[in-house]
Amino acid sequence: MIRLITYLLQQGVATVKNICPDLAEGVRGLPMLTDSPCQNGCTACIDACPTDAISVFKIEDNNHVRLDLGACIGCGYCVDACPTGTIKNNPTTRVAVRTREELILTTAGVAAQAANKEIVTASRRAAASVAGSFAAKIPPADSLAKAKWFGRSVAARVVSTGCSACDMELGAAGNPIFDIERFGVHVVASPRFADALVITGPVSKSMQEALVSCYGAMSSPRVVIALGTCAISGGVHKGGYAEANGVENILPVNVYIPGCPPHPWSIVHGMLLAMGKEHLAPAPVSGLVSAPVSAPVSAPAKTD
Amino acid sequence: MKLERNQTTFHQLHDKLNQALEKTSEKRVGLLTSITGGELATLILSPKDGTAELMVTPVENNSYQSFSTHHAQFHWFERAIFDFFGIIPEGHPRFKHLLLHDEYPQDFFPLRKIDLPEGFKNVLARRYEYLEVKGEGVYELPVGPIHAGVIEPGHFRFSCFGETIVNLEIRLGWVHRGVEKRLTEVPWQKAHFVAEAAASDTALANAFAHAIAIESILEVEIPERAQYLRTIALEIERLAVHIIDVGGIGTDIGLLGISSAMGRLRGKALGLADLLSGSRFLRGFIFPGGVRPVNERKLSEIKAGALALKKDLVPVIQILSDNQMATERMKDIGKLSKSLAHEFGMVGIIGKACGISCDTRQQFSQGKYPELAPEPTLASGGDILARTAIRVGEIWSSIDTIVKLVDACPHGEEKIALPDKLKANATGLGIVEATRGELIHLIFTDEEGKICRYAIKDPSFDNWTAISIAIRDNLIADFPLCNKSMALSYSGNDL
Repeated sequence: MIRLITYLLQQGVATVKNICPDLAEGVRGLPMLTDSPCQNGCTACIDACPTDAISVFKIEDNNHVRLDLGACIGCGYCVDACPTGTIKNNPTTRVAVRTREELILTTAGVAAQAANKEIVTASRRAAASVAGSFAAKIPPADSLAKAKWFGRSVAARVVSTGCSACDMELGAAGNPIFDIERFGVHVVASPRFADALVITGPVSKSMQEALVSCYGAMSSPRVVIALGTCAISGGVHKGGYAEANGVENILPVNVYIPGCPPHPWSIVHGMLLAMGKEHLAPAPVSGLVSAPVSAPVSAPAKTD
Repeated sequence: MKLERNQTTFHQLHDKLNQALEKTSEKRVGLLTSITGGELATLILSPKDGTAELMVTPVENNSYQSFSTHHAQFHWFERAIFDFFGIIPEGHPRFKHLLLHDEYPQDFFPLRKIDLPEGFKNVLARRYEYLEVKGEGVYELPVGPIHAGVIEPGHFRFSCFGETIVNLEIRLGWVHRGVEKRLTEVPWQKAHFVAEAAASDTALANAFAHAIAIESILEVEIPERAQYLRTIALEIERLAVHIIDVGGIGTDIGLLGISSAMGRLRGKALGLADLLSGSRFLRGFIFPGGVRPVNERKLSEIKAGALALKKDLVPVIQILSDNQMATERMKDIGKLSKSLAHEFGMVGIIGKACGISCDTRQQFSQGKYPELAPEPTLASGGDILARTAIRVGEIWSSIDTIVKLVDACPHGEEKIALPDKLKANATGLGIVEATRGELIHLIFTDEEGKICRYAIKDPSFDNWTAISIAIRDNLIADFPLCNKSMALSYSGNDL
């Protein structure tokens, strides 16, 4: 035991002080859209995308790109395929958001806002029809406004329903390098004393009942965090017979963390967002990306 | 890889299986499944010469005499075949659903392509019944599907007498997402993304097996450099998983310093993956036809990183193996006998820990293996200690192999262009030694060259029964450690 303690002391502090830094060069993050205009008639990105996360539409004869980060698995094929540099790799790890709309990026900015809202509403409506059998059991959602209750700490219950890559990254977020516990986030073993329900994976048929009981066992106020692309939209599993189409079919979601799997820093960012403490992870001043990320279609939701 | 396809009758199949599964046999059975619901497909492997034989046996009247009564290895395969195809194994000793749960409608067989026979009578109710152990003082302890920590879902039904486990029934299928069906629905050029989603920490091995299987259908050879890079990636994945699993042993014994140190060192192994592929889980690195480009500077950084990691790992693993308390928690606990491991067809770490030489890296063509395969790591105890020893042994051999492969990696092309269409009516096979053991991808194409059946056999599918056997008559308090020493995949099993 003394040897172990001596060893650990010799290793020094591994924890990174700079919270949610950008990814190192050459590491793939999620894609982003730039101001570089899209080429008319080009569908290279659509052809390359494995999850139908990209679509192209026209405004006044100009090609525009719509990119749903909630469906993106970050394979980077669209970035490689794009001839005009309209789609680029985004090195940021601060990717978590509070509304589904914020995950849909467009090159047309505000002009496409209405269309995007419609897309999200339509997919929610479809989700509601699928979840019909559960609707009666599901208690109403808590708005994130109440999340300031969790300002100092969040007890998170994790329900895994997928390939477990997101679980492993959540586990990694708890290791000495990222040390998510320093922000007051800890994983608990029962829903009874949990504030946040973190769901990974696409929630296929077999897990839906267990998930709803877990949510029902939590006391209010509570928040639901969809961790990873599968949890947000079903990812590569969407539309199959197992009804693995994401958490929103079953439960209201308060925070979305996209990525397949999200980087541990993105998970830290998502948890900070759920606590209303995102100011702890400001955008790095020196590491600004060369081209601006296109404006999200709706303004970021306020905490209260 | 070489695959011979033969049409057989049930009589011939029985004889073949009896031969292949004899104790002294040099062959073994890779998987048992169906293609359309009208036949059984049995894959018999010959590790000695690295070939495989696929026996296709037509099924009459939608049922056949169960093989599980004689060959325990098939008891889950036959239940899975019923779940997905509706073929009834007559006389199966524990016939019930395996992966599809009560939520699915009665008579729902998602992979069946042909109509059910006239007057088909489903003998099995959708509702799952657990095995009940009776007797005074025996109580049941249900655990899961949602577990206490950050783990995949599964249900464990313990029947205990006092502190002793009398029986453990494992029910999986909670993360069944329909991966095999999905793989037949997407264009084959994009199928590797779905294959990667089969299981997270086996993402690379799944992409690798997928690529080998597709390339064997197309009958193409990929460049030498790509073979080297694929093999390096496979060992990096193995390294990362073994490190965190040895750390997990520390967690479950109560040596939290070990687990925190190993958690940090796993980050370094994932850093090697980041360098090679731009992804911590090596996602998207391997695809049919080759790999993503890697420059020489990164390769030399990987070599330096692997050597530095070895230096960092030595003291931690030394502290764990010198700790007498840790050794006592592991020795003779969760023991699996070699004969049972053989009978149930255990593969990977569990097989190796029982002294069964089942490392496919020495047997079947995958990347630069078997040519440059490391020496097999074997143990004989069959207990937690033996399994941990195998992991530690493989950590060292993986690091040495990475260094060796980086040194020998030639320059040249990293990928080749592939034809637009797969060959019609073809069968493709990919076998890869994933971290947990033998991973098989078996692909069938139809007359248009589309994938019509995609079968994946994760090593965990063979090995889940090992926990039930090994934990019997052990204390319930030893279960977490025993479970961790096997560290099986739920998602790879459920698909």
